[in-house]
Amino acid sequence: MDKVLVIIPAYNEGLNIERVVGGVIENYSMFDYVIINDGSTDNTSEVCRSHGWKIIDLPMNLGLAGAFQTGLKYAWRHGYNYAIQFDGDGQHRPEFIEPMRKKMDEGYDIVIGSRYVDEKKPFSIRMVGSRMLSTAIWLTTGVTVKDPTSGMRMFSRKMIKEFADGLNYGPEPDTISYLIKQGAKVAEIQVAMDERILGESYLKPLSAARYMGKMLFSILLIQSFRKRD
Amino acid sequence: MTIVLRCVLITVSILLTFFVLRRIRQSRMKIEDSIFWVMSALLLVAFSIFPGLADLLTKLSGTYSTANFLFMFMIFLLLVKSFSLSVKVSQLERRVTDLIQMLALDKEEDEKKGERDHEEKDSGYSQ
Repeated sequence: MDKVLVIIPAYNEGLNIERVVGGVIENYSMFDYVIINDGSTDNTSEVCRSHGWKIIDLPMNLGLAGAFQTGLKYAWRHGYNYAIQFDGDGQHRPEFIEPMRKKMDEGYDIVIGSRYVDEKKPFSIRMVGSRMLSTAIWLTTGVTVKDPTSGMRMFSRKMIKEFADGLNYGPEPDTISYLIKQGAKVAEIQVAMDERILGESYLKPLSAARYMGKMLFSILLIQSFRKRD
Repeated sequence: MTIVLRCVLITVSILLTFFVLRRIRQSRMKIEDSIFWVMSALLLVAFSIFPGLADLLTKLSGTYSTANFLFMFMIFLLLVKSFSLSVKVSQLERRVTDLIQMLALDKEEDEKKGERDHEEKDSGYSQ
């Protein structure tokens, strides 16, 4: 099946989900979608069900990696050739899904919707983290990934299988660096992203430093020793 | 610190790192769980390469000999680790209990629903 599956992980996104998913379904009906409700404690599930949207309710909170992996397992079972992570908080814009899919036709395994292909990175504390991760990936793989923390990533069927079954395959920069090292072809295309409008993000400022430490440790020290099954 | 103790520390650290990396290679360990082990191995290597560091900390903590300090340090480290593991096991047990209960309750609900559908069909209300 050559259709794209849009995987929308949502954790307590009751305030945003209607607008985000509505925007995808109404204007981009050529894509299939599935909402993964990551054990939300608010009315995310009720909102989606009242519209009759396709939703998978996880009985407990697994975190972004576990929720997204559920979506990829669904994609694999239903034979999709492309799957894209599309955040439920309104940061990602559906008009860039089709260009990303076109880019996949050039033989890429992963296409990242990147904020900084043509545009320059601004100088802010957040971007220091992004630069450090880019440098770490470049040091270990020799490939430049300009926006390693972008959550908008499209995967080919081969990748869907790997991500669906693997341990240590979180949708994070360290997995990207590992896959590049293993010979996966990764491309970036320029996209625009919105600031999230309502509610809290997965990545709170306090845990951002922790996240950075984990990613750098993983990219610089661990990934070089991993082998592919 | 004697040279023998330093060699032992380095050997143990290398072995520990090797086993952790092998677990990751075999996809049997999450990377975030490996951070603790690799970092403590690095710390032990640091202590054996720069014995002055351990000597200084020995003086500060008043444990008389560097070996004493290393024992104390390791015990504290493992205490913290076993505590956090214990907390994690409790959480996991709770989640498993919740899941099993949820599964059983959902199944019961589904069965009831199935029976009701059946009855409706038999009595001709299904249309």
